[in-house]
Amino acid sequence: MELWDCNCWYGVPKSPPVAPAETVGLLLQEIGRAGITRALVRNAAVWECSPEVGNVLTSEGAAADERLMPAWGMLPPQTGELGTVEEFLAAMRAADVRALWAYPDKHRYVLNRTTMGGLLEEMQDRAIPLFLHRRESVGGQHGAYELADRLLMDFPRLRVVVVAHGSWGEDRLFRPLMERYEGFAVDTSRYELDGGIEEVCGLYGPTHLLFGTNFPEAPMGGAILTLLHAAISDEDRELIAGGNLRRMLEEVRL
Amino acid sequence: MIGEGRLTREFVAYGRVDDCPVIDTHAHYGPYQAIHFPRHRPERVMDTLDRCGVRWMLTSGHVALVDPRRGNAEIAELVAQYPDRLRGWWVINPNYPERTEEELDAFEAQSGFVGFKFHPNGHGTPLTDDRYGPVLEYANAHALPVLSHTWKGAGMASYREVAIVADKYPEVRLLMGHAGYGDWVESSKVARDHEHVYLELTAAYSVRGALEIMIEHAGSRKITFGTDHPWFDPHYGIGCILSAYMTDQDRRNILYRNAQALFGLPLEGAGAEGEAT
Repeated sequence: MELWDCNCWYGVPKSPPVAPAETVGLLLQEIGRAGITRALVRNAAVWECSPEVGNVLTSEGAAADERLMPAWGMLPPQTGELGTVEEFLAAMRAADVRALWAYPDKHRYVLNRTTMGGLLEEMQDRAIPLFLHRRESVGGQHGAYELADRLLMDFPRLRVVVVAHGSWGEDRLFRPLMERYEGFAVDTSRYELDGGIEEVCGLYGPTHLLFGTNFPEAPMGGAILTLLHAAISDEDRELIAGGNLRRMLEEVRL
Repeated sequence: MIGEGRLTREFVAYGRVDDCPVIDTHAHYGPYQAIHFPRHRPERVMDTLDRCGVRWMLTSGHVALVDPRRGNAEIAELVAQYPDRLRGWWVINPNYPERTEEELDAFEAQSGFVGFKFHPNGHGTPLTDDRYGPVLEYANAHALPVLSHTWKGAGMASYREVAIVADKYPEVRLLMGHAGYGDWVESSKVARDHEHVYLELTAAYSVRGALEIMIEHAGSRKITFGTDHPWFDPHYGIGCILSAYMTDQDRRNILYRNAQALFGLPLEGAGAEGEAT
């Protein structure tokens, strides 16, 4: 079974996790140990410094190994740090970047049509997925879901993934979005709820879940063993483990 | 995949290892206010235990965290229904101190409970508060286990309060629920320095690197496994332990040996890979 990790990072954040992975080499060591096939990766500088700095570092790091795929951060085009929408998309195309992260709280902008409409329209049309960390969205732990809901109401074909949703089960928060939006998903890095994966698969199908590890904050083994032995079909398991992310990235039209 | 060693290979392949039966020392039962549980009913709990190779589960009721009189009775019935798989924690709510004597009498009259469960943060009462005193005195006199929620943060249930209680009641077998989450080094040192203080792993296992700190400062003989089930799939916690850098002997100590020694629970076929380290 192929494991495609949609949520891991390396680098030097302001406050390090208990066991940091400051270099891409340390990330690769753990990816190899855990048997991860491919990983969508970002450098901590994307959110801690600025996408201006972090996007470059991310692409440099991802170039170290063919298992790594870079994901960049986005900023409002009005302030020009990352160029116009057209220039930003051209840079993504040149660097083969197929996923974007938004940190509207940390980077102090309103993630909506007024601010990001041009880029979000392009992301929708080009099937570029948007990743949101539930901790980094305006409004705290519930904010990521309200934000995803607003975005998907305005851009119903957008693909939105909320990651690291925390150990307090958030099914009451994210299942309504799965019910309503085909393009909404969460990662499994902190989906520790006993029976959660099987219930979501049964209710909404396997396409709303993407395997993730939340490395280096969390060990890789918890999310792996949980998925390996979840009471779901092998076909669904393989989609969650890697098939969903692989297809999502393959469908991107840069 | 995940890591190295026979336990990893077999948990990955089969989801359970027959000669490594797991003891879950920190579980709950029933629905709860802020979370949906797909697997909280008894037959589904048993299915989870079988699927993950959990031989024993020590549980307290979510109802009991609010109303111990009703909730502990619920757990007594549950344990009587599954006497070969479950034991109970008797919940004490310090906000009803006038009931404590009655609770202790009721505890003494039953046989399916291993000790007492405290939740200082949930009840807004520091672990060092006098209202826990009668229960701690009773547990100290009988060398009984107490499982207390512990978490980083001064003045409620951190390693500091645990050390004070452990000094005052040295015979209490004190399990630090969540291993004093966040204060990894200090909590480990409290476990190291007090013969009967243990680090219980629920949620703590999901912090990469925390387990290695506990082993370095307290040793694997002072750590027990727990899951807060039905909150968390036991496979998540087991997978984190398999990911952590330690030996299979350490993993066996954590997954069953320490709890077996603490609670005297029978385990068939356990520990075929040599003596505890």
